[in-house]
Amino acid sequence: MITIPPYLKPGNTIGIVCPAGYMPFEKAQTCIETLTAWGFKVVVGKTLGNQFNYFSGTDQERCDDLQRMLDDDQIDAILCGRGGYGTGRIIDQLDFSKFKKHPKWIIGFSDITVLHCHLFSNFKIASMHAPMAAAFNDGEFKNQYIQSLHGALIGKKADYKTSGNILDQPGKTKGILVGGNLSLLANVIATPSDISTKNKILFIEEIGEYIYSVDRMMYQLKRSGKLHDLNGLIIGGFTDMKDTTIPFGQTIEHVIKDLVKDYNYPVSFGFPVSHDKENYALKVGVDYSLKVEKDLVELKEL
Amino acid sequence: MNRKDFLSAVIPLATATTAFPKTIISNKKNSSKKIPPYLNKGDLVGITCPSGHISMEECTAAINKMKEWGFEVITDDTVGAKDFTFAGTDAQRISGFQKMIDDPKINAIMLGRGGYGAVRIIDKIDFTKFNKNPKWIIGFSDATVFHCHINHNFGIPTIHSKMCNSFPDDFSTATQSQIETIDSIRQCLVGEKMKYERLPIAENRAGKGIGDLVGGNLSIIQMMDGSASNLHTEGKILFIEDVGEYAYKIDGMLWNLKRSNKLSKLKGLVVGEFRIKPDDAGEEFGKTIYEIVMEKVQEYHYPVCFDFPVGHVRENYALKCGMKHELTVSDKGTILECID
Repeated sequence: MITIPPYLKPGNTIGIVCPAGYMPFEKAQTCIETLTAWGFKVVVGKTLGNQFNYFSGTDQERCDDLQRMLDDDQIDAILCGRGGYGTGRIIDQLDFSKFKKHPKWIIGFSDITVLHCHLFSNFKIASMHAPMAAAFNDGEFKNQYIQSLHGALIGKKADYKTSGNILDQPGKTKGILVGGNLSLLANVIATPSDISTKNKILFIEEIGEYIYSVDRMMYQLKRSGKLHDLNGLIIGGFTDMKDTTIPFGQTIEHVIKDLVKDYNYPVSFGFPVSHDKENYALKVGVDYSLKVEKDLVELKEL
Repeated sequence: MNRKDFLSAVIPLATATTAFPKTIISNKKNSSKKIPPYLNKGDLVGITCPSGHISMEECTAAINKMKEWGFEVITDDTVGAKDFTFAGTDAQRISGFQKMIDDPKINAIMLGRGGYGAVRIIDKIDFTKFNKNPKWIIGFSDATVFHCHINHNFGIPTIHSKMCNSFPDDFSTATQSQIETIDSIRQCLVGEKMKYERLPIAENRAGKGIGDLVGGNLSIIQMMDGSASNLHTEGKILFIEDVGEYAYKIDGMLWNLKRSNKLSKLKGLVVGEFRIKPDDAGEEFGKTIYEIVMEKVQEYHYPVCFDFPVGHVRENYALKCGMKHELTVSDKGTILECID
């Protein structure tokens, strides 16, 4: 049975923490203002604005900051300021014993995929794959994707509709939604954060990788059995993909299509979950229905 | 001591002057291990390309050198074949590799080059005949897929070394280390005793360990996780190398190894060359390869040596994957010796 953390009410407190890469404080300003405008109190951890080389603090500082947020009864949800890299360096040092008794929403994506996977596989606690602080900037706090985060936080059930893609594999299914960043999904395989994808709807997105590298990671998912027993597959954005000097000769979409075309489950390509602004809030560990039709894709929270 | 000094201090100790010792060395054979027959004069080496494209011209130096060693050489039609980045379509590369491993006339297989593509075909290869009649498979980088897959699934050792694309065109102008690294392939193939020595470096961790040598390209090792080619490291000496990855990626891959228990039960760790991609401005990772590795293995007690001459560099000496080795790291230096 999956544990769904309590949804937020006006006056609840969101803590902002950076478990991975460095984020300047001012880049979170609009996010803080927006969360406040939504009626929440905001507290920031020591790691926001803090820097240790690439990271938002030493491993110890990042671990302590997130630990404090996990354990603090006054904090009702935790929004990660940004991803980058570093969550995997502290995940095994975190103590989830208090959090397990009093779960709260943990929000983020990209490197935060490690947390989503870890919480789901170890504690069956749902978490939120959604835009982080920087996505609120440049006037984007009004867009439908940031708004979807607001809806998700207050317990509004999502019903996302998007246009179809010529590569889509049609069908209807239901299942628990799992997924996140492809590199991190591959990176946690065989570790204590690895997820079972059997009978799940899996979503993946990626940024800044070579096409051959995406191909190799998709082969890893396939060869490790992660694609065989899915109920459905959602291919999100593959942002800023790179190619080698000798071209790979296939687009990302065709690379993935080649690997999943023999499966009978529905597959949606180009779903708005990505490192671009098109990034709907998705609840990892929660049941959804997925409908893939010729001109319409619908992902609906059950 | 500067880096150049220790690289030039690497001396393969195989001292036989003839290419074909009369007695093939294969002592202490592990009962479950199937060491392919060492090569004799007149034996046939096949060249095939299961990964990236390479032209026939680029294989000429390797072909000539191996003929000079006294072998016959045959190439298949994946050499020169091109399907974008690949040496032909998946079907062509599968067929090429399959024929080479099945053909009883072929005694060893050298891969044309690495690149990318082995993982796309590995599950389509039928190793039944190969398992009964093992032969040496030679390569590195993307070929790590074969090393992992074959060593574990069939108990058959393989050779991690330079491939056709790394043979110098003109040996008369080649550096000493180029000549030595290429000759180390011959030494492996004919069954000479393999022993490498390195000068000490401060970052090493002293100790002695004995175990089968496994490893290769770190990115590939991580990508084998959870699959039928998964690398098993318990009781083994692990070697790793990588090229062109950011420091944070290397860090993440080593966390994967640590978190998937691939580092906890080693008998030794050999860190080869890591040609790390420079960090982007403002994204400085701030840790050296020594720190990145040591923080993962600090609680273990096996020997660790750095800057071992294996990787995407000129000093890439041949290693026998799946064969028992002894690793000795001390303040006098590092010795890696094949004792199988």
